[in-house]
Amino acid sequence: MAQIDIQNVQKFFGQHQVLKDLNLTIEDGEFVVMLGQSGGGKTTALRAIAGLETVTSGKILINGEEVQNRKAADRDIAFVFQSFSLYPHMTVRENIAFPLRAVRMNAADRDRAVKAVAETLQIAQHLDRKPSALSGGDMQRVAIGRALVRRPQALLMDEPLGVLDAKLREQMRAEIKRLHIARGSTSVYVTHDQIEAMSLADRIVILHDGVLQQVGAPDQVYLQPTNLFVAKFVGSPVMNVSDVRIDGNNVRLNGAEAGFRFPDETLSTVRHAEAGLTLGVRPEAVLLAHHQGEGYVPVVTTNIEPLGSHDIVDVQLGGTVLRSRTASGFVSGEGQQVWVRLDPAQAHFFDKATGLNMRGAN
Amino acid sequence: MAGVRTPQEKWTNRVAIVAVFVALAIMLTPIYWIAATSFKPRNLATTIPPTVVFQPTVSPFVKLFTKRSQLRDQPTAEEYAAAPWWERMVFDGGEKVVRNGKTGEVRTSGYGDRFTNSLIISIISTILAVSMGTLTAYGFSRFKVAGEDDWLFFILSTRMLPPVVVAIPMFLMYRVVGLNDTHLGLIILYTAFNLSFAVWIMKGFIDEIPREYEEAALVDGYTRMQAFFKVVLPEALTGMAATAVFCFITAWNEYAFALIMTNRNAQTAPPYIPSQVGSGLPDWTVIAAGTLLFLIPVAIFTFLLRNHLLRGMSFGAIRK
Repeated sequence: MAQIDIQNVQKFFGQHQVLKDLNLTIEDGEFVVMLGQSGGGKTTALRAIAGLETVTSGKILINGEEVQNRKAADRDIAFVFQSFSLYPHMTVRENIAFPLRAVRMNAADRDRAVKAVAETLQIAQHLDRKPSALSGGDMQRVAIGRALVRRPQALLMDEPLGVLDAKLREQMRAEIKRLHIARGSTSVYVTHDQIEAMSLADRIVILHDGVLQQVGAPDQVYLQPTNLFVAKFVGSPVMNVSDVRIDGNNVRLNGAEAGFRFPDETLSTVRHAEAGLTLGVRPEAVLLAHHQGEGYVPVVTTNIEPLGSHDIVDVQLGGTVLRSRTASGFVSGEGQQVWVRLDPAQAHFFDKATGLNMRGAN
Repeated sequence: MAGVRTPQEKWTNRVAIVAVFVALAIMLTPIYWIAATSFKPRNLATTIPPTVVFQPTVSPFVKLFTKRSQLRDQPTAEEYAAAPWWERMVFDGGEKVVRNGKTGEVRTSGYGDRFTNSLIISIISTILAVSMGTLTAYGFSRFKVAGEDDWLFFILSTRMLPPVVVAIPMFLMYRVVGLNDTHLGLIILYTAFNLSFAVWIMKGFIDEIPREYEEAALVDGYTRMQAFFKVVLPEALTGMAATAVFCFITAWNEYAFALIMTNRNAQTAPPYIPSQVGSGLPDWTVIAAGTLLFLIPVAIFTFLLRNHLLRGMSFGAIRK
């Protein structure tokens, strides 16, 4: 197991810069998830750690040793590909044993190691099959088994669940977590799925346009996004975002007549923004009521998504649609008159020019 | 094909079957003709209309492999009785087998040697073209090569000229360096012909093998070379087999250069067979026999590799 340090890493593909001065330390035994849109640089960062991609400048250290100029084979790292990348001409057993053959382990030890890892992953009954005869979930189990079998310094996974269907993803997600807890291997996991990131990560690393946006524990990233990109990328449904104007203690959404009253301590840090402000509130901070109350503004519901455990209700306020998370059946239909309030404690103000969260670290 | 068919589709199907039979008939008729002629007695080979029913004989094959001369007189009864069965066939055709004056050994024709030459030259040049083509294609497919497209076009451009155009300069060059009428000379020539073709076909196949296969091997502790042999090559076998069939057929059938560049030592079967038309009345049965035997290796080779020619069998364990 190992600690991985990424120091000032830059990566260009021709003129295009895909990693911009990336700095990151992944602790021994930590599960780090790199989250971002495709093209954000997360896969490139992962491949750079593995040695499948060179870096233009900067250092990558594994256990304090510089490895950026070492071949992939000499970094003692395992990689799980989105496409699984199992060798079709080999059986499952041969696939899992493949990395052990590279280090010329003797046949008896090899067999023992393959069996042990196959049992952990519950694929022991498939060992003599060809990969093409397996289900998607089992293929990915084999791919993970092949990665784990030689007990690498770190396990890198590039969207390993990306091609599985929703049910299987959920199941495999739990399995990967269980495996991580059992083996305690340093793991770096790339995904664009924020739910996967939230559920697996010790820490989430958010990359956008090759720039590191935020590093933090899942709840930290969710509750205290450093900028608008992170705020919008993490969380489902997406955070409500609207340009706002502040008059005294009144926060008016873009084009709306009525405003919301916010307490002084919330507004003190944002009052003097020059470029204008963008307000972000998550659906659970948009509070609906059936009756007029202190601080509530009347609105009309426009759409309801019943999700079983809760509903997502859209309300129209001026030019903005606010999405609210309510108890199931709280609102019975579209076109209903309700009252809305925003929870000031869960409201985020972003500088319109820089996108930074004005409340800083709260 | 399973599934529900409309009456219209059934008709289309029948028409398709008829079309297949027509196509087969057109393609197989010359082969039947050659096969039939090679078993006919000489006097039936050129009858009009063609003789369909006849007593088959192997005399054309006997003649194909022996050196013969015209009989001036009929062989004596003793000579005839002493001769083995196959020699009698030659007598019956108005010829006699040429024997070594002292030892009495039968003098064989050049066909066997020419056939062996064809095999040696075709097989070696096919192996060279496919292996070099695969390595080159791998390089183009996986690495950034400066001016890659230009190089590939350049490689392909060697096929744009009809080969015969360069025959004379090639002949002169070969004479200077002493490659005339050598196996090596033809092997180099055929390898060069086929290489551009092999590179292009193999590049297509290797492009389809996901890079992740090798990357997985590289991360797992293998060198690029090991990854190529253990992971890429098994996946590329299908493509290599298909390429080999085409290269082999091209080399095996090549006529013009073999005619110009060789005369004895390294001559292949294609220029030899028509040279037997020679003077006097051509014996078409012998030529047909030579041609029939010449068809067999390609048929066997293609038959052995037929499974690989149907591609896309091993692709499946990768999700895209």
